Amino acid sequence: MKYALYPGCTVQTDQFGYEASVRETLPNLGVELVDMRGASCCGFPALSSISKVGWHYLSARNLAIAEKMGLAMLPLCNGCHLSFIETMHFLEEDLELRSIINSHLEKEGLMYEGNAKVVHLLEVLHDQVGVDRIRGQVVKPLKGLKIASHPGCHAIRPSDLQKVDDPEDPRKLDDLIKALGAETFDYPEKIDCCGSQLAVASGRTTLKIAGDKLKAVKSYGFEALVTTCPFCFKMYDGRQRAIKGALKDDSLDLPVFYYTQLLGLALGSSPDRLGLQMNMSPVDSIVERITE
Amino acid sequence: MATRNELEVKFISRMLSRLVGEMNAEVCDQCGKCSSACPVSKEIEGFNPRQLIAKVSTGRLNGLLKEDAIWTCTTCLKCRERCPEEISPYDVILILRNLAYRAGYSYPKGYDDFIEGVKESGYVSKPQTVKTRDGGKMSREDMGLPEVAGPEDMGRFRGIVEGIIEAGKSG
Repeated sequence: MKYALYPGCTVQTDQFGYEASVRETLPNLGVELVDMRGASCCGFPALSSISKVGWHYLSARNLAIAEKMGLAMLPLCNGCHLSFIETMHFLEEDLELRSIINSHLEKEGLMYEGNAKVVHLLEVLHDQVGVDRIRGQVVKPLKGLKIASHPGCHAIRPSDLQKVDDPEDPRKLDDLIKALGAETFDYPEKIDCCGSQLAVASGRTTLKIAGDKLKAVKSYGFEALVTTCPFCFKMYDGRQRAIKGALKDDSLDLPVFYYTQLLGLALGSSPDRLGLQMNMSPVDSIVERITE
Repeated sequence: MATRNELEVKFISRMLSRLVGEMNAEVCDQCGKCSSACPVSKEIEGFNPRQLIAKVSTGRLNGLLKEDAIWTCTTCLKCRERCPEEISPYDVILILRNLAYRAGYSYPKGYDDFIEGVKESGYVSKPQTVKTRDGGKMSREDMGLPEVAGPEDMGRFRGIVEGIIEAGKSG
């Protein structure tokens, strides 16, 4: 198990807890991560909205680098993951577009051959490493913790282009949560959107969409929410205070974690190595419960 | 300059005609599964994927291109997933955004900042120093994370990106 690691703009810019916890935990599970030299933005969401050629150029540029490395690419962001999947699809379908993209890539000595492979973190953990191996390596089980699973839209849809998990009944993140000894159960809003992509057009509506889901998650008795998407995480964790303000509801306190942070705690890593000091939601009491 | 814009329009139009072709073959029944799944329809009056498809399939594009509504889609993809006729309001909306931009209508200015960032460093933004929960600050280096390395020849990369994106912008 060896992958070209693509953290992507959001993760490497300010989501250090995600990147650190991925780099801390995956090698412990037999996954080798190789950094990509010279990578760049995937083009989502700005370029996909205003320049189809620019979007596919940027996505294909990274795919070409991974092809050259001879490795499947592991993007950490759901948005990047889908962006690469969509570009692979469009460049397969439209050979004229592919040759125009390649004429630009050539200027940097790159070439998109159409053989790139892209994997999602949920696939690596669930399908490659496997739930049994993870369960077997847990030294600090998350006993009694009720955790809501939030896979995020771009991990599970559209199912005609990708099959990371079932689009209407995703279970992989749930299985991975249970492997750590925690509890999880289905809830009606599980596959609902966090609203983050609306922030650029309507900040207030974004907070309302995210807040409604937080409220629902709390009402079912979950003690925390877990995701693998940096956009969703920033919404529920980083903007939780803003959500409380917008919904005028101070009770909307919910600890939010990247899955790899909880995985790291369960495997015995120290909270600081997992970047937990940068979660802005109230995670302290849960971290203490796990590490004590 | 114009030729590059024409290139964008050519591919955007090709994608739209392919989609509309599929729509004509399948025919939208106006069942409303897209709108009932849409997180934005619940919150913003005037955003309705079902009505949007009706307008596009009858060629009423011009009003749509000028509306803020096309920029408020969260790209959650539930409409595309649940359409029983395999029509994708999500893809139609992305195409309308591209057309609106090419036609010089308004779009969220935040996108310009993203693109400026990409031209400057290869990424939307450079690594920041972030806050910790107890009021401290952390950098990538503090976390022991490797330095971010963008394209090796930034000048060349910037030139390519500008050539593709900027040249086609109208207005």
